[in-house]
Amino acid sequence: MTDSSPPFTRLDVCNRFLESVRHSVVLGMEVVSAEETAVRTRLPWREDLVGNPETGVMHGGAIFAMMDHAGGMSITCRTFPVFEITPTIDFRVDHLRGPAKGAAVVCEASCYRLTPHVAFVRITSWEEGNEDAPIATGLATYTRLKIDKAGQVVGQ
Amino acid sequence: MKALKTLIDECRSGATDYQELVDRVPYARFLGIQVVAQGDELTFVLPKNDNVIGNPTLPALHGGAVAGFMEQAAIIFILLQMGEPRVPKTIDFTIDYLRAGHFRDTYAECRITRQGRRIANVHISAWQKNRQEPITIARAHFLLSEDA
Repeated sequence: MTDSSPPFTRLDVCNRFLESVRHSVVLGMEVVSAEETAVRTRLPWREDLVGNPETGVMHGGAIFAMMDHAGGMSITCRTFPVFEITPTIDFRVDHLRGPAKGAAVVCEASCYRLTPHVAFVRITSWEEGNEDAPIATGLATYTRLKIDKAGQVVGQ
Repeated sequence: MKALKTLIDECRSGATDYQELVDRVPYARFLGIQVVAQGDELTFVLPKNDNVIGNPTLPALHGGAVAGFMEQAAIIFILLQMGEPRVPKTIDFTIDYLRAGHFRDTYAECRITRQGRRIANVHISAWQKNRQEPITIARAHFLLSEDA
């Protein structure tokens, strides 16, 4: 009997992917879970990420950056255990409501269609603990770059 | 803290540097956004810095940082057009990535395509080498006032 499963999990790969992307680390982004069909990440509220000093609401750009990276991770989970570099082609985000001051934002990204060159991804964000009331929804496409040893960027 | 309207009036009259308006927003300081004014024309700058790196091997800028920079540039741009300034709320933001963002300074300019009483449509273009070769273009809608 041989076990052909790789010695690392999707969560391991997503965490390495996160650690290798400085902007996401500096934002304070965390990976919550990583399954073949969906990835969850969270972004704790922080004073320096505020977009409107009068309300204390987190800036849409910070939420966008997390959703963009989570979208990339959702592709990683589909191509697992192979890691590919997947630059964003386009991304649309709708801000449904402002997250409350102090609340962490959680997002779930799902790659619902993967073709040889393009990945189609849906992303939803909500305030932690309030999953039934999304604050933002996103729709994005990414392109799959075929780069030898791409996995070593985050894998080793 | 100065009232927003006072600060904007001072920026318009030249009494205060636009940078004070930019630095009012914590996230803008986090990214390190700067603004260059030539007369009434504003160019926004995202100076290269380690915190906005995405792919470390290239190295390339994080697309999310560039998007956040462009969104904030548009917000400041609209604020300066408003008679009774209130921070506009982003309704939606759509971005196309045309070229890789290299590890160097990035510039952005905004154009208001349509501004109604309640909603503004803004086009934002960002470039590095020259403005004829944008690395990203974006369009966004902002809610200006909920009681208009």
